[in-house]
Amino acid sequence: MKRELEEDRSTADAGRRVVKGECSSVSGGKLKMWEEEEEQDANGGGGGMDELLAVLGYKVRASDMADVAMKMEQLEMVMGTAQEDGISHLASDTVHYNPSDLSAWVQNMLSEFNNSTNPNPQSSLYSDSLHRIQSTTSCLYDDDSEYDLSAIPGVALLPPKDSSTEIETHSRKRLKIGGESSGHLSPSPSSSSPPFVTTAGIVSEPSRPVVVVGEDSQETGIQLVHALLACAEAVQQENMKLADALVKHIGFLAASQAGAMRKVATYFAQALARRIYGIYSPQDGLYSSYSDPLQMHFYETCPYLKFAHFTANQAILEAFATAARVHVIDFSLNQGMQWPALMQALALRPGGPPAFRLTGISPPQPDNTADSLQQVGWKLAQMAEAIGVEFEFNHIVCSNLEDLDPAALKIRPTAVEAVAVNSVFDLHRLLARPGAIEKVLGLIKTTQPKIVTIVEQEANHNGPIFLDRFTEALHYYSNLFDSLEGSSIGFEPANEDVLLSEVYLGRQICNVVACEGTDRVERHESLTQWRTRIESAGFDPVHLGSNAFKQASMLLALFAGGEGYRVEENNGCLMLGWHTRPLIATSAWQLAPNGSK
Amino acid sequence: MQKNHIPEANEKRRKFLINDNLDILIEILKRLDGPSLGVAACVCRLWCTIARNESVWEHVCFRHVTSPLPSSVKSVVAALGGYKRLYMVSIRPVLSRLGYSEVVRRVWTQDEVQLSLSLFCVDYYERLTGSGRLSGDASALSLMFLCNTVNV
Repeated sequence: MKRELEEDRSTADAGRRVVKGECSSVSGGKLKMWEEEEEQDANGGGGGMDELLAVLGYKVRASDMADVAMKMEQLEMVMGTAQEDGISHLASDTVHYNPSDLSAWVQNMLSEFNNSTNPNPQSSLYSDSLHRIQSTTSCLYDDDSEYDLSAIPGVALLPPKDSSTEIETHSRKRLKIGGESSGHLSPSPSSSSPPFVTTAGIVSEPSRPVVVVGEDSQETGIQLVHALLACAEAVQQENMKLADALVKHIGFLAASQAGAMRKVATYFAQALARRIYGIYSPQDGLYSSYSDPLQMHFYETCPYLKFAHFTANQAILEAFATAARVHVIDFSLNQGMQWPALMQALALRPGGPPAFRLTGISPPQPDNTADSLQQVGWKLAQMAEAIGVEFEFNHIVCSNLEDLDPAALKIRPTAVEAVAVNSVFDLHRLLARPGAIEKVLGLIKTTQPKIVTIVEQEANHNGPIFLDRFTEALHYYSNLFDSLEGSSIGFEPANEDVLLSEVYLGRQICNVVACEGTDRVERHESLTQWRTRIESAGFDPVHLGSNAFKQASMLLALFAGGEGYRVEENNGCLMLGWHTRPLIATSAWQLAPNGSK
Repeated sequence: MQKNHIPEANEKRRKFLINDNLDILIEILKRLDGPSLGVAACVCRLWCTIARNESVWEHVCFRHVTSPLPSSVKSVVAALGGYKRLYMVSIRPVLSRLGYSEVVRRVWTQDEVQLSLSLFCVDYYERLTGSGRLSGDASALSLMFLCNTVNV
């Protein structure tokens, strides 16, 4: 049986280590890999006890494997840094029942250990071990008997079974490589190791920081960030083996965190894993920001989209103050959530509402959503009829904005109809294709708009260097997730909404980190960059008024956890941020007076 | 049932019953705040009918607005579900969230009005189903954040 395992493992390289699932953590990925092993090796031994370990005398549920693995690693690390006499009590005083039940036994050990010793994590030495990692070249694993558990006297740690030495060393091996061996059962210790990544450098470093269960999560938080950045740097330097090891380590560290940090780290770890293994699923590019259902949840749980809509509407309203007929071209139609409020404001305009024409542009949806697009128009028409606004709706399906034919927009002369162009979180996608943004800006100019409203993320995720993008994105999305966390406190019914919003953001993260070229569409740029670009295309900024600012502030105050949100004014543009970090920016533009071209 | 008794000094035993003087009753009920109006609606059928009247709620909603609202507001609000619903869905949460007490209400400017109306619109839009019929009791999800009870 061991030979089979060896074969399996040698064929199991990067191809098998597929991190599946959008929402599963890296340790969940490990679990799936275990299950794959079991299904292949033992005949269908999935749900019950693991058959291989059972042969060796240990009872572990297949579903508990990852958990047990993690705990064993923790135990190993904890014991590794404890003083000599600190653990002898485990041998004599601790009582263990049923040591063949690995899961309970490990748990018992850990709780015993935590009660007795409390080693301080030496996080300052972590950077040393980081350097060690980086300088380690890949070499064959050699059996290091430093942590030979059989050296510890007594029955507790090493139950008296011959075959047990093998399971110990198996798990020991696995542990030493930082838990990244994906749970393969190695054959005898003396055999040469498979081509996994070795971080043997860490193993012999006795001052490796300890992850004590449930404590010092702040320290692990710092370690987590370090690990993420180190991994990104490894990817940048194309050192994929190192990056691979780090990714798994990140997964483990992330599991010890709670809340926003854990989620962010998990998403980034997943995205890094995808990048390392070269898995780009095509839907990554297609779905972000066009994916209607997820965006609705994002709309509901936090104020970013509402802020965007309300501020853009205010600018449009002011521009349309005297027009008798208005035409809005919306690049980001989605569910049309922006327009009811505008229609209502127009209806209450002194002098009565203008005739309102809306042209919505959206990409082709893969599944049958032609009905839902029609529904959007239908609902808007209902609304307009209810409040007494003359309404006309035109819907254009277009996958690439730069291919849009201006004639399809059916622009009427300026004297007859005032035009506004609106884009919410969409223009940055054009940066993925060269020349696209210039074409679209030119297209906008041909419509002779009275006002152009643009809302974009305030971040630079489009730099040429991967590591910079990664660091920026890490900060940005940490803030974003923090704000989501803040708004969901005490809000039981909509936890699902928050989760789905996080998935929505997770897709963006994945795109920023894992994709390249035309697939990478989440090319966010900062307001300054957009300003330069738009101004050079022949537009002048329009300042958003103080009533937009006031309404935005009030809107934010309505959200639970609203104290964290800040509205800032930046040269006529409004920015919404979380505490001190601006996250999205609304800007308004008009054609420059002597706009040639 | 409340009865206002004029002191017996008056020999003509004319009792003043508030329920006989609807105009006064309406004037009084118009000046109540939301919760009190709700309580008043439980008094008797007559009061209930009055308390459900839209014009009373119109006052509850916009009594403290500084500048007069355009006349079109009424038709818009009516079309979107009425003042009572406006109060329930939008104005009351906004008031409580922004920390304004119901009784001593800060003066409202156009901005607050506009914000409440916008939120009300969003609520209406979300309740529209594809076939155009309003789903009556389903509340719009995007305004759920307003329904959250804040832990004080």
